[in-house]
Amino acid sequence: MIHFQNVTKDFDNQTALKDISFSVDKGQMVFLTGPSGSGKTTLLKLIYLAERPDNGEIIIDGYDTSQIKDSGIPLVRRSIGIVFQDFRLLENRTVFENISIALRIRGIGEKETKTRTYDVLKNVNLRHKADSYPKRLSGGEQQRVVIARAIVPEPVILLADEPTGNLDPDTAEGVMNTFKNVHAKGTTILIATHNRELYRNTGNKVLRLDSGNLIGEEFGR
Amino acid sequence: MIAPYALKLAVQSLLKEKWINLLSVMTIGAGLLIISVSFFALYNIDIATKKLPKKFSMNVYLDNNLQQDRLDSIMDAIRKNRAVLSVRYISKDEAMKELKSYLKNSDYILEGLEENPLPDSLEIKLRKDATGRETAQQLAREALKIKGVAEVDYGENFLTTLTAIKKGFNAIGLVFAVILSTGIIFVCYSTVKILFYRRTEEIETFKLLGATKGFIRTPFLIEGAFIGACGGLLSLAGCFSLYYTVLLRLSVTMPVFKAVLFPANLFLPLPVIGMLLGLAGATIALGRIRY
Ligand SMILES: Nc1ncnc2c1ncn2[C@@H]1O[C@H](COP(=O)(O)OP(=O)(O)O)[C@@H](O)[C@H]1O
Ligand SMILES: [Mg+2]
Repeated sequence: MIHFQNVTKDFDNQTALKDISFSVDKGQMVFLTGPSGSGKTTLLKLIYLAERPDNGEIIIDGYDTSQIKDSGIPLVRRSIGIVFQDFRLLENRTVFENISIALRIRGIGEKETKTRTYDVLKNVNLRHKADSYPKRLSGGEQQRVVIARAIVPEPVILLADEPTGNLDPDTAEGVMNTFKNVHAKGTTILIATHNRELYRNTGNKVLRLDSGNLIGEEFGR
Repeated sequence: MIAPYALKLAVQSLLKEKWINLLSVMTIGAGLLIISVSFFALYNIDIATKKLPKKFSMNVYLDNNLQQDRLDSIMDAIRKNRAVLSVRYISKDEAMKELKSYLKNSDYILEGLEENPLPDSLEIKLRKDATGRETAQQLAREALKIKGVAEVDYGENFLTTLTAIKKGFNAIGLVFAVILSTGIIFVCYSTVKILFYRRTEEIETFKLLGATKGFIRTPFLIEGAFIGACGGLLSLAGCFSLYYTVLLRLSVTMPVFKAVLFPANLFLPLPVIGMLLGLAGATIALGRIRY
């Protein structure tokens, strides 16, 4: 589903990712870990084509991304749900609007948009916050809105960047349970985190980055 | 088809940035109003000058003491011209009589004249459908060639001047309209650009979530078109209120203005014109923004 072959990415002569190769199979839940600045966010950006590699090959859902023109990017992104590290919530729109926009972008009609948005709001226990604005929410609530927006279109791939970054352990567990439910439906998931609690004893594949190098592929135990 | 959600986004943005939008609408409205008023003036000048030549008649002055058969042949020659409706002979005595009746009580001016200084003449009326300047000119040229014709007076200078003025006005009007239309497009262009930059953050997020260019652009096109149409509507209202408050009132005291025509039907497309200009501005703006 996600395949990197000798991928390198530089920023102004500084290497962010060096000769990275790995695969995530369809339906797999994989963790990406490493200290901050090790290149996790950059790797995710390469997947949703916010960045392009300087070298190497990236294949997403069977498509060689080097063949995808700018006009084809929206189509790729519609098969991906993204939990951004910096949330990217729309401040002047309600929680409902923030989530439903993901469906509207995909051209889904008004009625279906409503039912699906309210369903996912229930799913993340935010039904009562539908008409609130993001600023009025706690960090954990905001995080769940971002997750709801990522999963509501039922993407084939879910990318999550530090989804438990500033959460207390209980809330973090709730977030992980949401991911597990999505995973159970067959979604391929890649989670970037420096929190080892998330993958400990899960048996899931863990990719370990350090200063842009992939230094290990192990299984969480 | 316009997705209802694009419409919703457009309406939201129009309301949110209502001051910028109001200012743009007013600017566009003023611009279109100026264009309309100029057009209105040109339209009336055109109508007025088109009416003029229809009342037009031509005077052919004859040599003194022509023989009757010479006179008949001159009149026959002129009648042969297809532009001529009627030819009337006015003898110098008749002309003097007409002049005297015209002067009425002031006919002392003519006292002391021993001999009638007026020439015999022909008054030619032209057909309604043949009243162009060229026709008159040609007829005058032909008449002058006839033996016995001394002079032809068809108000050439007046017609030439009038046509030149008309052409000048039309040219100025056209330049004016082009400049103002460009200005209106530019206003819409800037407005859409401002609206766009105020929402770059949101647009960036939309893109990351998989929005196509069309999804992002459509609301701005709607906004541009709407602002333009509102400007057009405003100018339309301006035209009608100017007509009803200013012109109609003026024509009560100054009957000259009664002759002024108000082509209401020709002003009705103003909102559509505004919409197209707005759409053009928005399209240019979106074409030039890199995102
Ligand atoms: N847009 C950018 N321009 C320049 N340098 C960048 C940019 N994005 C990331 N980097 C650099 O690339 C390295 C990896 O960053 P990042 O992928 O954000 O790491 P992580 O998500 O693991 O903390 C860092 O050294 C960072 O400074
Ligand atoms: Mg990061």
